[in-house]
Amino acid sequence: MNTKEDISPNIVEFNGVSLRYNKGPEILKDISFVLEPRSFYFMTGESGAGKTSLLSLLYLHLEPTRGRIRLFGQAVDMMSRATKAQFRRQIGVVFQDYRLLNHLNAFDNVALPLRLAGEKEADIKKHVSELLSWVGLEKQMKSYPEELAGGEQQRIAIARAVIHKPTLLLADEPTGNVDDAMAKRLMYLFLELNKLGTTIVVATHNVGLVKNFHFPQLHLSEGHVTQVPASGTSYTDMAAKLLKREEKNVEKI
Amino acid sequence: MSKKSDFLFNKESTHFFLPWMCALMVFMTTLILAGGMSIHNSLKLWQKGVAESLTVQIATYDDDGNSRGELVYRDIENALTLLRTTPGVLGAMVLNDDQMQELMVPWLGTDAVISQLPLPKLIDVSVDASRPPMLEQLKADLEQAVPGAILDSHRIWLADLVHFASAILSLIGFIVILLFITVAITVMYTTKSMLSIQEHILDLVHMLGAKDLYITNRYAWHNFKTALSGSFIGFVIAIPIMFGVTMFLKSVSGELLQSSLSATQWGLLILVPFAVAGLTFFTTYKTVLTYLRKFV
Repeated sequence: MNTKEDISPNIVEFNGVSLRYNKGPEILKDISFVLEPRSFYFMTGESGAGKTSLLSLLYLHLEPTRGRIRLFGQAVDMMSRATKAQFRRQIGVVFQDYRLLNHLNAFDNVALPLRLAGEKEADIKKHVSELLSWVGLEKQMKSYPEELAGGEQQRIAIARAVIHKPTLLLADEPTGNVDDAMAKRLMYLFLELNKLGTTIVVATHNVGLVKNFHFPQLHLSEGHVTQVPASGTSYTDMAAKLLKREEKNVEKI
Repeated sequence: MSKKSDFLFNKESTHFFLPWMCALMVFMTTLILAGGMSIHNSLKLWQKGVAESLTVQIATYDDDGNSRGELVYRDIENALTLLRTTPGVLGAMVLNDDQMQELMVPWLGTDAVISQLPLPKLIDVSVDASRPPMLEQLKADLEQAVPGAILDSHRIWLADLVHFASAILSLIGFIVILLFITVAITVMYTTKSMLSIQEHILDLVHMLGAKDLYITNRYAWHNFKTALSGSFIGFVIAIPIMFGVTMFLKSVSGELLQSSLSATQWGLLILVPFAVAGLTFFTTYKTVLTYLRKFV
């Protein structure tokens, strides 16, 4: 007998997807893979391999030139613009260049997804303050991005991506500008989210990070995904184990 | 913390140009429409004048410049008799010196002594507008009964004036339409410029799941409020100028121009700032919606 988890649709399905910019060469070639609910992947590959382009397809910022993408069980090319917008609200994105709005302070940048979703201001205040404290920026809530260091901006970008507890979290080099301790802390934030049911894809060059956290990889090379994780695996247990290990480490300290 | 509604807009969003453009357009439209309404009111008055009155002139001096003396009163009697028996004429009345003086004020001022001027005697003839007399027949009869009398055909020049004023009104309508088209085009380009400056904001909120209609409505209301504030400035500046022009026209044209506006016309003028702001809302809405199509 199938459980609810067995019959739930895949979060993402790529079927023979290719991408080219204008009339240039194909950046991504005939890519097929599946991301299951509550899974955790690293996306690896050399610079220019197409990681950012693949992420852009995942958060519906680009359309494939060939092939079909299914998101949350629905074909993206069949969706109306309003449905796409609705689906985007279920995705959290950490951009490589952060994309913070310079006219908004740290609090308002993080609050943006909640405001777009029409959340109550009282709830927004509570959740955003908690999360900013968690990422160590409680004193910088009223600071504007231009007044903050690169690492602080990156943490705001991450907080904005996770504040609405997305179903799918896509992070492009989320630990690229922070020290190792903060990188680990942020990874545990992702693990915490994963434990709560969020599917996570972290694009990274950080070999140490990939080695420390034994998650499967989507390895991009010359426009092809050369390593596809086996389907049917839930990574929640793995995330839970890692979190438990981290909690013990914290207790020892 | 910023207000919930203003996260889409940074300092560049409030385009300096937009409120002042709206102020200028409302200023011009209000003055032009007020002028048009004034001409419209005068036109109605003139049309009434054309339909309801005639004037007969009886010369008081002969061709050599000698006074015609008692002959004038005989001619007046004959003319009145003829006029009062003509079908379509409701009444005929000789203008006295005071009435003549009043008529001459716009040309000669209040100090003129008209008794010393070689002015003709005037007979004001009231006409049944629904059944006016045959003008050509009346002219011939008058020539026979009172040789030298002139049936003043202001009906003819007033008719020309009515045609001219009607043409001016059409021109005013055309200019107002042009002004509104200018508002729409300017708002479209201003909005495009705003959107292009803020593309990074739009791109981000689009990726965070903001719907097209949400973004479009925010921009439309933002520009509506900006346009309305500018429009009221233009309207407020136009009011004293309108009063000034009205006073001036009254002083130079007397009763010729009906420059006072009715309550309904004032109501229509008050709608001008709202019309410009409404047009701004609609144009912004269409422009933003079209612009957002560039995002997947």
